[in-house]
Amino acid sequence: MSATHLIARDELRLMARNRVAVIALVLLVLLTLAAVLSSWSHQRGIAELRMRHQQVAAAAFKAQPDRHPHRMVHYGTFIYRPLGALAAFDPGVDAFTGNSMFLEGHRQNSANFGDVRQSSLLVRFGQLTPAFVLQVVAPLLLIFLGFGVLAGETERGTLRLLMLQGVSRGQLVRGKLAALGIVALIVGLPAMVGFVAVVAQPGTLALPMAAIGLGYALYLALWVVLILLASGFARRGRDALLALLAIWTVAVVLVPRIAPDIAGAAVPLQNRLQTDVAIARDLRQLGDSHNPDDPHLAAFKQSVLQRYGVTRVEDLPVNYKGLLAMEGERLTSGLFDRYAGASFAAQTAQNRLVDAIGVLSPTIAIRALSMAAADTDFAGHRRFLEQAETYRYALVQRLNRMEAKNVSYADDIAEDAGADRRKRIAADNWQHMPDFAFIAPSASALAAAALPGISILGLWLAVATLLLTRVTRLLGARQ
Amino acid sequence: MTLWMHELRLLLRARLSVVALILMAILTAAAVTAGMVEISRQRTAIAAIPAAQSEDIAAVADYVDRTKDAGSAGYYSFHPTWDAPSPLAFAALGMRDVSPYILRVRALGLEAQIYDGDIFNPELALPGRFDFAFVLVFLAPLFVVALFHDLTSGEREAGRLRMLDALPRGGAKLLRRRMLLRIALLWAALAVPFLVAAVASGVGGAAIFAVLAVILAYLLFWTALAALVARLRWSSVANAATLAACWLVLVLVLPTLAHVAINRAVPIGQGAEIALAQREMVNRAWDIPRETTMRRFYAGHPEWADSAPLGSAFHYKWYFAFHQLGDESVATKVRAYRSGLERRDAAARMLGWVLPSVGVQALLTRLADTDVRAQLAYQDRVRAFHARLRNFYYGYLFRDRPFGRVDFGRAPIFAARMNTAGGSNEAADRP
Amino acid sequence: MPDNNGNPIAIHELALAYGNHRVLDGLSLTVPASSITALLGGNGAGKSTTLSALLGFVRADAGQIAVCGIDPGTDADAARRRIAYLPENVALYEHLSAVENADYLLALADQRQDRGTITAALAAAGLQNRAWDQRLGGFSKGMRQKVAIAVALLREVPVLLLDEPTSGLDPRATADFNALLLKVRDRGTAVLMVTHDLLSAADVADRIAFLEQGRIVEDVTATGSERFDIRALHARFQVGVGTRAA
Repeated sequence: MSATHLIARDELRLMARNRVAVIALVLLVLLTLAAVLSSWSHQRGIAELRMRHQQVAAAAFKAQPDRHPHRMVHYGTFIYRPLGALAAFDPGVDAFTGNSMFLEGHRQNSANFGDVRQSSLLVRFGQLTPAFVLQVVAPLLLIFLGFGVLAGETERGTLRLLMLQGVSRGQLVRGKLAALGIVALIVGLPAMVGFVAVVAQPGTLALPMAAIGLGYALYLALWVVLILLASGFARRGRDALLALLAIWTVAVVLVPRIAPDIAGAAVPLQNRLQTDVAIARDLRQLGDSHNPDDPHLAAFKQSVLQRYGVTRVEDLPVNYKGLLAMEGERLTSGLFDRYAGASFAAQTAQNRLVDAIGVLSPTIAIRALSMAAADTDFAGHRRFLEQAETYRYALVQRLNRMEAKNVSYADDIAEDAGADRRKRIAADNWQHMPDFAFIAPSASALAAAALPGISILGLWLAVATLLLTRVTRLLGARQ
Repeated sequence: MTLWMHELRLLLRARLSVVALILMAILTAAAVTAGMVEISRQRTAIAAIPAAQSEDIAAVADYVDRTKDAGSAGYYSFHPTWDAPSPLAFAALGMRDVSPYILRVRALGLEAQIYDGDIFNPELALPGRFDFAFVLVFLAPLFVVALFHDLTSGEREAGRLRMLDALPRGGAKLLRRRMLLRIALLWAALAVPFLVAAVASGVGGAAIFAVLAVILAYLLFWTALAALVARLRWSSVANAATLAACWLVLVLVLPTLAHVAINRAVPIGQGAEIALAQREMVNRAWDIPRETTMRRFYAGHPEWADSAPLGSAFHYKWYFAFHQLGDESVATKVRAYRSGLERRDAAARMLGWVLPSVGVQALLTRLADTDVRAQLAYQDRVRAFHARLRNFYYGYLFRDRPFGRVDFGRAPIFAARMNTAGGSNEAADRP
Repeated sequence: MPDNNGNPIAIHELALAYGNHRVLDGLSLTVPASSITALLGGNGAGKSTTLSALLGFVRADAGQIAVCGIDPGTDADAARRRIAYLPENVALYEHLSAVENADYLLALADQRQDRGTITAALAAAGLQNRAWDQRLGGFSKGMRQKVAIAVALLREVPVLLLDEPTSGLDPRATADFNALLLKVRDRGTAVLMVTHDLLSAADVADRIAFLEQGRIVEDVTATGSERFDIRALHARFQVGVGTRAA
C-alpha cells in the first residue's frame, strides 16, 4: 500500500474515532435528506397547485358564454409559471418572484403572489433546500473536520516524525487531500442521490443535472483544497480554524449579501409608478385614442380607408373598431416591450455585476450556476415573463381580430336595447383559443448557462491547487 | 493603571482581537451606510411621486374635462399611495425590498390591485439585504466566538490558568472582567456606528435605547453560550468549532427548518385564488341583468339607493358597482388569507422567544416598522384610502354631477403615516 | 481555627478524596517562617493536591489547614493574599514586556508597585536591564521564572509556594534560582516547594518531607555542612534523582 494511501486511511480512521465529527456528519446527512424531502414535496405541491390553477383558469376562459370579443380582452386569463423538475433541488428566486399573472388587454400586470410576501420573516433567513445545504452548510462541516489535518501534525510535531519515516511532503498532502475528499463525497452524495431520485424524468435533463453535479463537485473540491491550504499554512490548528471560519464567513455569508447592494446602487431600476407614467406619456405622443383629431390615428384611419378603397369607416368590409383596437394594442405592447426590455437589461446588468464580484466568492459562482442550470434564476423568470407577454399579445390580438371580422361596425357602435346581444360572438370561439404553454429551455441551453459558473470555479480550483503545491513545499520547513 | 486598563492593554496587544473589533466596527458602519443609502433612495422615489403624478393626472384631466364624465375620471385616474420609511428603517430593511412601498390604485376593484408588486430584481433580493440587522443577527455572534472561545481555555493551554486562579483578583473575577470588557467593546463597535446613523436619521430616543438594549441582550446571549461551552473545559479549538456549529444551527438551520414547518402548519390558500374569484364575480356582471347588480349594490350601500335608475346606455356607476360587489364577494377569502399571513407571522414571532436570532430580527424589523405587520398595516391604509376614493367618485357618479378639471383637485389625498418628503400630492392641487 | 503556633503554613491530619480515591490521608505539615520545606513524592503522592488545598482550589474532607491562621477552604481570597505561587511551567503573557507582566500580575494580586520598584526587583531576580522592556516571546524558561520570582518578591507575602521550580532549568539557572530562593527565605518567608527532584531539594531546603499515599512518611531536617545524606534518602525512597517523570 502506498504512503499516500496509508495516510488517507489513517486520517479517515482518526475522523471516524472522533465522535463529534461522526455526529456532525450524520446530522448533515439527515439535514440533507430533510432538505431534499421538504424541497421536493414543496416543489410538487407548488407544481400541482399551479397546474390546477392553470387548468381552472383555462377552463373558465373556455366556458365563457357568448361575448363581445372586447369583453374577453378584459376578462383576460390567468397564467402560472410552471416549475421545472430541477427546482426541487434549487428553487432559486421562485419564492421571490410572483408566479401568477393576470393577462388582459392594454395592460401589463405584475407577476404576483410570490412566497416571500406570503411567509413570515423566516423566509429571509434562507430556505432549506439541497442547494442551501451544499452551498452553505457543507463547507462549514468540511472546515470542522479538516482544519487540523496538516496543522495538527505540525502542532503535535508528528509532521517531522512522518517525514523522518520517509514520507514525502507531496505524499502527505495527497493523502490528506484524499481523506478529506472522501469526506466531501460523503457530504455531497446524499444531496446528489436525492436530487436524481426526485427528478422525475432525469433522462431529458441529464445535461443540466450533470452541470449541477460537476459544479458542486468543483465547489466542494475547492473547499477541500482551501482547507488544506489553510491547514498547511497555519502553525496551530486554532489559527487554521479561525482563518477558515473567516474565509467562510466572507465568501459564503458576507460577499453574497454585499454584492447585491453594490449592484443595486450601481445600476438603478425604474419603479413601477415611474414606468407606468412614462409609458402613458409615450403613448400620448404616439397617438391619443381619446383625441378624435390625433394625427397618428388620423393617419392610421386614412391608411385603412385607402387600403380598402373606401372613404368612410362604415363602408369598410371589416369592423374599424377592431382594427383600431389592434393598432392600439400594437402601440401599447411595443411600449411595454421597450420598457420591460430596459428593466430586464438593467436587472441583467445588476446580475452581471454580482457575477463579476463572484470572482471573489465561489459561493456566488456556484449559486449562479446552480440556479441557471435549474432554470430558477432571473433569466428563467424573465423567460416566463416574456413568454407570458407574447402569449398575452397574441391572445388579445386574436380577440381584436375577431372583433374586426365577426362583429359589424354598425352593431359595435349601436347603443339600442338589442345592441348588446348583437355585439356578442359565439362561445365556441373561446374554446379554440390556444392555452398558455411555457416553453422550457432545452437541456443543452440550461447546461450552457452553467458554463460561466463552472469556469469560475475551475479557475478557483486551479489557483488554489497551485498555491497548495507551494505550501506543500514549505511544510515542516517553518517552526 | 486600573485593572480595567491592564485588561484593555492585554486585549489590544492581541492581533486577533484588535482585528476582530475593528472589522466589526467597519462592517457595522458599512451596513448602516448601505441601509441609509437604500432608505434615502426610497425617500427620493416617494418624493418623485408628485411630479410624475401631476403629469399623469393632467393628461387624464385634459381628456375628461371634455366630457365631464366622472366615470372616466374614476376609471383613468390612478392615485398614489406610499409607505414612507420610518426613521429607523435603515437599520432593518425587512420586507421593504420585496414589498412595494409605492402603489397606485384606482377606484375600481381593489382586490385586483392591492397585491401588485413593484419592480425588483429577485436575484438581488434572494440573499437578503446587507443592513444593520444582518450584521447584528448573523455576523456579531461570529465575532463573539472569535473573542470568547479561548477566554479560559487559552489561559489553560498557555499554562497560566492556575497561577491566575491563585491571585486574589484573578480567578472568576478576572474572567468576569475580561468578559465584560469584551462585551463592552463589541457592543461599542456595534452601537457607535448605529448611534451616529440613528441620530443622523432622527430616530427617537426610545427606539435608539431599545436597539442598544437589543444589541446588548443578543451579545449577552452569545457570551453566555460561550461561557457555557467553556465550562466543558474543552480545548480552544473544540470551543471554537462547537460555538461555530451552534451559530450554524441557531442562525441558519433552525430558522429555515422552522420556516418549512410554519408554512406547513399554517396553510394559506394562495392569494391568487382571491384574484381569480374576484375576476369571475366582476365579469359575471356582464351576463346578468344590470338591475340585479344595482339592487344588490344598493342593498349593501343604501346611501346611494336614491340614484337615478339606469338607462339603456352604458353608465359607469353600474361598472363601479359591480367592481365593488366583486371585492365584497371575496371578503371572506381576503380575511382568511390575511389571518393566515398574520398567523404565520405570529408563529415566527413566538419562535423568536426561543431562537434569539429570530427574536432579534423580529424585534428590529418591528421597531423599524419594516416587518410583515407593517406591510399589512400599509395595506390597511391603502384599503381605507381606496374606500375614500370610491366615496369621492360615487358622489359624482350616483348623483350625475359633472366632473370637471377642478374636481381632480378635490380627490382625496393619501395620508402618509408619517410626515416625510413627498407627502404632499401637488398633482391634486392643480386646477 | 487550627492552632498554627505562628507557623505561616500549618496542616493537621488533612484528608481529601476524589470520589473513592483518597488523595490526602492524614497529612500533617507545618512550615515556619524563614524556612524552606521541600515536599517530595512520586506521581500521585498528593503533592499537587496539597498545594491546591493551600490555595483554596480544593476543600479538605477532614483535618485542618491554615495559611497564616486562615483556612483557605473557607476564605480562599484572604489566604491567596498571603501566598505567592509559582506553577511548574511559569507561563506569562508573551505579548507583554517583563515590566508589563510584573505590573499586571501585581495588579491582579492587588499589590501595585511603581516602575522603579519593579525594575529593582527584576534586577534583584537577575534579569538584565535590557530585557526589562522586551516582550516575553523570546524569553527562556529561566528568564520567565526570574520575572515570576520578582513578582513573588515584590508581593512581600509570608508564604511562597513552588511547584517543581527547577524542572527544565539548566544547572546554572538552577543555582541562580536557588540563590534567589534563599534570599526570599531570609526575608522571613515560609517557602514550600513541591518536587520529585531530591538533588534539587537537598540543595536548598531546610527540611525535606516525604509524601506517600497522602501522608508524610518521613521528615528530615538539614544538619551540618553535608545537610542531607542523599544516598540514604534515595535508597530509602526510590524517588527520582534529577530525572523527570512525565
